[in-house]
Amino acid sequence: MVDRRRIQGPEVSVAPIIIKSADKRTCLKDEHSRRRDGRNLEDICPIFLKTGLISQANGSAFIEIRRTKIACGVYGPRQTKIPSFSGKGNLNVEIKFAPFSCQKRRQPYRDAQEKDLSQLVIEALVPSIRLDLLPKSTIDIYITVLENDGTASCLAAAITCASVAVADAGIEMLDLVPASSASYIGGEIYMDSDLAEEQHETGYLILSYMPSLKEVTHILQSGDVDLALTTQAFEQCTDACSKIYSVMINSLLLPIRDTQ
Amino acid sequence: MPNLTKYVTPGRRLCFSEGVTAGPGVYERGEYLYASVVGVVQELAPTTEGEPRVVTVTREKVHSAVPDVGSIITGKVIRMTTKEAVVSIMVVGNMPCKDDFQGIIRSQDVRATEKDKVKIYNSFRLGDIVRAEVISLGDARSYYLSTAKNELGVIYAQSVAGAVMIPISWQEMQCTKTKTMEPRKCAKPDIPLPEK
Repeated sequence: MVDRRRIQGPEVSVAPIIIKSADKRTCLKDEHSRRRDGRNLEDICPIFLKTGLISQANGSAFIEIRRTKIACGVYGPRQTKIPSFSGKGNLNVEIKFAPFSCQKRRQPYRDAQEKDLSQLVIEALVPSIRLDLLPKSTIDIYITVLENDGTASCLAAAITCASVAVADAGIEMLDLVPASSASYIGGEIYMDSDLAEEQHETGYLILSYMPSLKEVTHILQSGDVDLALTTQAFEQCTDACSKIYSVMINSLLLPIRDTQ
Repeated sequence: MPNLTKYVTPGRRLCFSEGVTAGPGVYERGEYLYASVVGVVQELAPTTEGEPRVVTVTREKVHSAVPDVGSIITGKVIRMTTKEAVVSIMVVGNMPCKDDFQGIIRSQDVRATEKDKVKIYNSFRLGDIVRAEVISLGDARSYYLSTAKNELGVIYAQSVAGAVMIPISWQEMQCTKTKTMEPRKCAKPDIPLPEK
């Protein structure tokens, strides 16, 4: 019997044709394989990270990587509004792109991509937060993207920033969660790619990793990539996460050192 | 006495878990102890002889308190029915809550004796400040509270005339202005909060 209510897929499928534009790609790096901003392929960008910018929030953080700028506020733990009993705390994340954050104007209301990214941040952070200690409570995390310089690196920065903000709020957690991203462009790995590089990518990898516990909390990959290349990108992202981790620790300890 | 002082961030490995127990702000995973908040590491001597030492991390920034079973709370009566009084929890132990939590004192939890004769209206009034104990995490909306102890009950109340009232007995308070008596379940005064 034929199921008329659903759209049937074709019986044979064909692999999609991935259009590669060779001429544009060459300008992403020079003959010394340095990128347009002078970085090597495996280098990540310098990071500016500061805690405690939003005074009315319980914890907050601001991150700036290249032109990506993200502010994050953590509110709670406060009484949950969900009408069902739960012995575990609940984590709620809302990412908002400012209307002026991207090349094209973003609508002020929440769109599908923002919901998607919010869910990814939740998945990356939940394993690191000790929600079992906060029954019947909710932690609200509000992330505002002020400027977006590549969606993959923006998501990684949002996870990093949110994790620092949660630690700044004094919420008990297992470890900080740095996240890093890599783009696959022409069979090579570009770490922490910017907007122009991202337009040429054939896939990406975003890794959230707890360096102290050596555990991955979240991994997201898209695109058609070799296993060897993925393994290499995975290792590079782990290294990058460890580097970001030290920046996160410094940003949390700096306000304490300043007051002394 | 603390014998080592340093600042740590969550995920910092502190020491082996053997021979020490994890205090507040510390968790055990595998064979190590890790910090779970930003703060100062302290190694405390055991309270009784022969027990393992306790490692704690004291928060640099206190986060909003969350009520738990057994904690003593201070709150305000915001709603009353014949069966229960609804309390807005404002302080847990000695820590203020940033956002109020909701708690319920059911009529059977007001006092320890003669529970069937309790009338909520003769125990609390709207606007009273109450000290109570959390007895259960309760239902989806509220924590369940109890005042069935001498040191628990109304700690501050205003009379119908609007003046402050002083407790006369454990179930009566007198208005300082009009000298009228009003029924309340009073807390026994001058007992400091039990250390948690």
